[in-house]
Amino acid sequence: MFETDVLLQDLREILGAVPVTLAMALAIFVFSTIIGSLFAFIEYRRVPVLRELVIAYKVAFKGVPMVIVIFLAYFGLPPALQFLLSLVGIDFNAHLTPNWVILVIAITGCIAAFQSEIIKGALNSFDTGQADAAHSLGYTSSQLFRRVMFPQVVVAAIPDLTTSMMVIMKALSLGFAIEVVEIFAQSQLTAALNFYYLEAFVIAVVIYMVIAYIVTQIADRTERALRIRS
Amino acid sequence: MDLSTMIPELFSALPLTLVITFTAMSVGFCLALIATTLRVRRVPVISQFVDLYVSYARSVPVVLQLFVAFYGLPLLVILFGFQDFITATMAAMVGLSLYHGGYLSEVMRPAYLAVERGQHDAADSLGYSFRQKMFRIVGPQAIHIGLPGYGNSIIYLIHNVALVMYIGAADVMATAHLIMERDYNQFQFETYLVLAVIYSLMCLIAWLIIRFFELRFAVHLSKEATSIPLKTAAFASV
Repeated sequence: MFETDVLLQDLREILGAVPVTLAMALAIFVFSTIIGSLFAFIEYRRVPVLRELVIAYKVAFKGVPMVIVIFLAYFGLPPALQFLLSLVGIDFNAHLTPNWVILVIAITGCIAAFQSEIIKGALNSFDTGQADAAHSLGYTSSQLFRRVMFPQVVVAAIPDLTTSMMVIMKALSLGFAIEVVEIFAQSQLTAALNFYYLEAFVIAVVIYMVIAYIVTQIADRTERALRIRS
Repeated sequence: MDLSTMIPELFSALPLTLVITFTAMSVGFCLALIATTLRVRRVPVISQFVDLYVSYARSVPVVLQLFVAFYGLPLLVILFGFQDFITATMAAMVGLSLYHGGYLSEVMRPAYLAVERGQHDAADSLGYSFRQKMFRIVGPQAIHIGLPGYGNSIIYLIHNVALVMYIGAADVMATAHLIMERDYNQFQFETYLVLAVIYSLMCLIAWLIIRFFELRFAVHLSKEATSIPLKTAAFASV
């Protein structure tokens, strides 16, 4: 039956995994946003060949479950990396790549496809009349981007970027499949030690929901603050 | 690795995957309808509980939801005085239904709210009852707005069925693991590639079906209704 005595101890142990998870999530968020912006820019500007490649990439990564992408990266990346490095002439045992690096790369690859969609949507919501106005005032393209487009696009993208941050947090839970210890894997380990499974998982559920609540609150506040200024 | 023996073996596990998918689809749809109705109508205490359920379904990883269902259901069953009869497959169905219901309710609610307020007023002024209003005026428009989001949610449901292996249901993924272990784990990368193709095909079929309905529903709409800017949620859901 449900044991309430172990809850506090479980909470302490599982909370220990929160900083690592948040750090990995932030790293993935930054990388995937950079790659996603690149993709969105390619699609926005309609660069000939690259555009088709980006679309193919997006279709491939949206059709395949993330667990399978993670496993493919886990088994495929080290040999591929070693092969590439041996071509350049560096002797490096890529099989020693830590698992968390592989997890970060795999999830970045998946999320980048969605980030690019979000950023493309934000770019499309930009009113082109403003671009014309800026051009008529003699703005260069970089000035136009920096002073007119970027501030508006960022504000328009905040709600969606918050959701993708939550998706990254949840995607990291699949790390337990390749032995990366984050919140979910830690709750499994804790449960395996004292055999109170449901208790540990309930604690993990509470932690995830609290993190989601905090992230949403922060995003709402920033959005409100930025909207007033613009 | 022999593809000609591996693929039939993988397909032999496909029925279970499909059964879990369809159960979660239909039960989740009903749950989402109930949840959306309660959230839109704002019944005092119940609405807060439904909000909590939706945020549980949306902010907790699906693996964790499956594990909670797997360990929590037997407890619930015993609490009501029955013998523990919950198998891994049943737990997977319940867990995924709860997840899908919560996710889908976040697709349905914006779709319902996106229907113009004037349409409600017009229906009310013509003396339509709530049921008539839903079935004849608001419903069809909301379906058109919500269909792309619904397609996404079905695709993510198919993706997440790949996770039921971890609570011990014998689906396609679990069979693939058996095959890999029988080959002394030599062909793991190749086997996962085959799995990726199978899942992509399943998603493609689901997407084509939804696309067919999207085109069909577009016929019933007036020009103004189709011009409503709709923002489809294109988020991954794990």
